[in-house]
Amino acid sequence: MSITVLGVNHRTAPLEVRERFAHAAHEVPGALARVLDAGASGGVLLSTCNRTEFYLAEPHAGVPDVVWALLGERLSGERSVQQYGYVERDRDAVRHLYRVSAGLDSMVLGESQIQGQVRDAWETSRPQAGPVLHRLFQSALLVGARVRTETRLGTGTASVPSAAVAVASKIFGELAGRAALILGAGDMAELAASCLVAEGARVTLVANRTYERARAIAEQLGARALTLDEAWPHFAEADIVLCSTAAPHAVVTWERVAPAIASRGGRPLCILDLAVPRDVDAAVGQLENVFLYDVDDLQAVAGQAAAHRRGEVPAAEGIVNEEVERFWSWYGGLAVVPTLKAFRETLDTLRALELERAQRRFQHLSPEDREQLDLFSKALLNKFLHHPTVALKAATDRGRGYALLEALKELFGLERGDAS
Amino acid sequence: MLVEIHLAALALYGLSAVLALAPFAGLPLSGRWTLGVASLGAAIHAVGVAQLSLVGLGPALSVLAWCLMLLQIGSELLLRAGTVALFTAPLAGGLVGLALLLGLAPGAQPSAGRNMWFILHVTLSVLGLALLALAFISAALYLLQFRELKAKRFGQVFQLFPPLERLDRLNHVALVAGFPALTVGVLLALGYAIRYAGGMRADPAQLVWGSFTWVVLGWTVWVRVVRHWAGRRAAFASIAGFAAVVLVYVALKLAQPGTARFL
Repeated sequence: MSITVLGVNHRTAPLEVRERFAHAAHEVPGALARVLDAGASGGVLLSTCNRTEFYLAEPHAGVPDVVWALLGERLSGERSVQQYGYVERDRDAVRHLYRVSAGLDSMVLGESQIQGQVRDAWETSRPQAGPVLHRLFQSALLVGARVRTETRLGTGTASVPSAAVAVASKIFGELAGRAALILGAGDMAELAASCLVAEGARVTLVANRTYERARAIAEQLGARALTLDEAWPHFAEADIVLCSTAAPHAVVTWERVAPAIASRGGRPLCILDLAVPRDVDAAVGQLENVFLYDVDDLQAVAGQAAAHRRGEVPAAEGIVNEEVERFWSWYGGLAVVPTLKAFRETLDTLRALELERAQRRFQHLSPEDREQLDLFSKALLNKFLHHPTVALKAATDRGRGYALLEALKELFGLERGDAS
Repeated sequence: MLVEIHLAALALYGLSAVLALAPFAGLPLSGRWTLGVASLGAAIHAVGVAQLSLVGLGPALSVLAWCLMLLQIGSELLLRAGTVALFTAPLAGGLVGLALLLGLAPGAQPSAGRNMWFILHVTLSVLGLALLALAFISAALYLLQFRELKAKRFGQVFQLFPPLERLDRLNHVALVAGFPALTVGVLLALGYAIRYAGGMRADPAQLVWGSFTWVVLGWTVWVRVVRHWAGRRAAFASIAGFAAVVLVYVALKLAQPGTARFL
């Protein structure tokens, strides 16, 4: 009986590798089926942009090899999956999942998106999860919620895209229905745009130096594509402008956008310049009701929150440890009854064998004496079993039963069936 | 009993102000505490207001303080702009304290305090004034937040103050609601004077200040609604308007001392 997690994450593998290991929801049942066929009573696959992890209940010895082989199929060249991977077992595996769910293992400390991803992974894997992992993932979600409620680990905005959303929210309040204009086709702008869209903002226009690239992104976001030169008059209508071009100098200049901004009638305009080097001339930020922020500004917002969050880590780790013990207590209790039953059956079989052997030697005994001998052997066995049974149950109640159970199985060969 | 009720309200408004300030001192207190204490204070104060005879400066200040607290509660519940408590709670506490110092007993014309026209006139006029004060407060918060956002300072004002547009909306709502309240209040005063007080015999200072306040509030509404001023310009207009109303009041008060009447 054990729980194991195998996988890769942002600390052990570069983005290029993590991308290859990412599983879409429809790929999860097939991948888990292969792993379960190799011998595990349950499995959950958690796949996000920062991690791909297989959580397995009671895996046989060969199962990790199947997981690595499955991931290895996605890796090109001569590279070994295991150089990027890690394995955690039992308590450490439980602690790992709880830390993931709480955001303690995230690239952005305390980010809350991971909790939804853990929930999605559990939902997707549910038919193959089995009772132990079902309970484990349920408790992981509760641990994540508890950490976010009882500590301030999740407060503030600790990434540049989320800082961009926070800054825009401080200007507009609700972002629902706000019109966003994207200049350039950089990854950061695309990420920040998706954060804005998640808050209800509408990306109405995407402008880029090359029209084709603008159109590709515009189609994804349901927006209209423009060339950069066509974009300047639209500063009159947009509420938020996200800039992320690869231009080596400022493309948004006072001369280009001041006339459009003057026609806004005092409505605020939030310009988020995510490009390095910067896309927006600093003079644009001096215009009335224009709020201009570059990457350094947004990192300052994110940095404040991250520093604050780091102070909450000990409290969050304390909650995780407490919950690991609670889960392990339940898990140990789950195993104690069948193990004790097997222990008793094994010793009773031995008793019966030895009694039969003794009775063959003592043919002269009357039926009454034989019965007395049988009762004596049973009483002796009960005396022998009493203390270990009580101690094991007590240890389980204290959350320390698992080690004793393992020792019992090992000493009496309970799983191998070779006690005799 | 009236004094004790006002003392209790004063204590709760003071506590509400302290609770509103707590997050700025690094204490992670929920805004619900401020709201709860303010609501309790306003509920107790309501009992006192119901017993007041609305004649004289003391009772008028008490009603003004009560209206301000109701507006603070409304701002939090309707627009999630609880930070106005930073201004409204101490202001309301100060007004209640001043009302206690001046005395809550009715001044001249105590019988007027039982006339429904008069009660409505005072209540609506004071409500209009409180809404003008709320517009001033939201405008001040707007300018503070605007300055922080422009200067890219992401400190406590950035984190704890409401968003700019929400403050602008609060300013707009306060002005648009305040103008009709004050207008009806002034019309009721005219009606009361003609119908019950034997003709227009109002104090000249009261007339000047009442008319001036109505014109100022009308102007701020006009620039917002007709001229579509918004944001910083509208905030400056609200602050200038409120400052002018207060300055004219102080000037008239200095020219004509006495606390028997509202002025």
